[in-house]
Amino acid sequence: MFKISRKTLIGFIIFSCTLLLISNTLSCLKKSAQNVLAPQLSFLDLLKREFSGIIFYHRNMIQAEKLNAGVGALRWQMLDLKELNQENIRLKELLNFKQKSSLFLVPARVIARSPDVWSCSVVIDKGKNSRIKIGMAVINLQGLVGRVVECTENSSKVLLINDPSQGISAVVQRSRQEGLVNGTLGTNLIMRYLPEDAQITEGDIIITSELSQFYPKGLLIGKVINIGGDFSGLNRFAQIKPAAGLSSIEEVLVVIP
Amino acid sequence: MKKWSFLLVIVALALLQLTWPVFLIFFNCKPDFLLILIIALVFYLDFKVALAFTVLAGLIKDVFLVEPLALNTILFSIWSYSAYLLSRQISTENYYVRAAVVIIVALLNNIIIGLVIINFGTIIPAGIFLRNVFISSSYTAVLSVFIFKLVKKIAA
Repeated sequence: MFKISRKTLIGFIIFSCTLLLISNTLSCLKKSAQNVLAPQLSFLDLLKREFSGIIFYHRNMIQAEKLNAGVGALRWQMLDLKELNQENIRLKELLNFKQKSSLFLVPARVIARSPDVWSCSVVIDKGKNSRIKIGMAVINLQGLVGRVVECTENSSKVLLINDPSQGISAVVQRSRQEGLVNGTLGTNLIMRYLPEDAQITEGDIIITSELSQFYPKGLLIGKVINIGGDFSGLNRFAQIKPAAGLSSIEEVLVVIP
Repeated sequence: MKKWSFLLVIVALALLQLTWPVFLIFFNCKPDFLLILIIALVFYLDFKVALAFTVLAGLIKDVFLVEPLALNTILFSIWSYSAYLLSRQISTENYYVRAAVVIIVALLNNIIIGLVIINFGTIIPAGIFLRNVFISSSYTAVLSVFIFKLVKKIAA
């Protein structure tokens, strides 16, 4: 059906070689392109938020009314907790309890998301200028979000925990059962390599383990919603619902060790 | 001048793809505007010019992905050339034919990228693989009409 002449073939080979050369210089291009497009992305994000505010005005109003009703009760609870916290601090001091590490957090705003469906990443508006480096863990108020994989002066790329290339060493908080948490590209995560007699049940809380290369120990990953067996029958796996709503995150906190 | 305005269109569509609102993402799938654009460019512009813009569009997409490979740049060029060959063999004046070309290209593009990722050792559940292939491709094809109209208007 298609006839390809020699000239076209030579042209195609030269073109392919050029593309391969371009592929090698992609990492250099990535940094400069991200730097150039970061302000525009921030501006677009601002516009998007303003428009969403207008479109969902009614829903937001009802939500605000509901939330305002709960604020009073929560304020009292917070006061109680503050009291307890202060008491806790005093008791710790009395026991010469030294806190192992205090996390230093840098807040950042999500300005862009992955352009395709085969990876789960976001771009945030803070970079090297805010002391952010590659490999740092990213969380939000609900739980673990991901880790920084690329960093420029004013923006960073964060690989989310539901990306399938992510592997997080994790433990079940209750039984200290260890396993590897992977992303699935979907809304849930999967905890693999659990032995047949693993002490894990539905509703168990999963946190990062101290064996994790990138993540500090004890960060909340999510909750077990289902447990199943591998095809081989040797291992079990657990489906985990991430604590952080990964599909709609807007603000994150970068953990600086 | 008209040709250079396509540069702006590429950047605008890339920005739109990066900041696509969450409430318009269905089943975790969103449309691939740059893929539609490269097919539309082949139908409305000279092939060599279209190919140059295709490489640029692919590079912009790859820049914002995590993978170190320039996979989209290579695939976009292949799809552009295939669409050019196809447009010489069949009539592509009808919008439905163009949407059909877009859905086939989107399906092939998603299948190849998915298989490349799996080949690198990443485990993707079958259901999610199929969801990404079919829903994302259909979503792309549905929105292709608007991009074709935009490109036609600028190229006219």
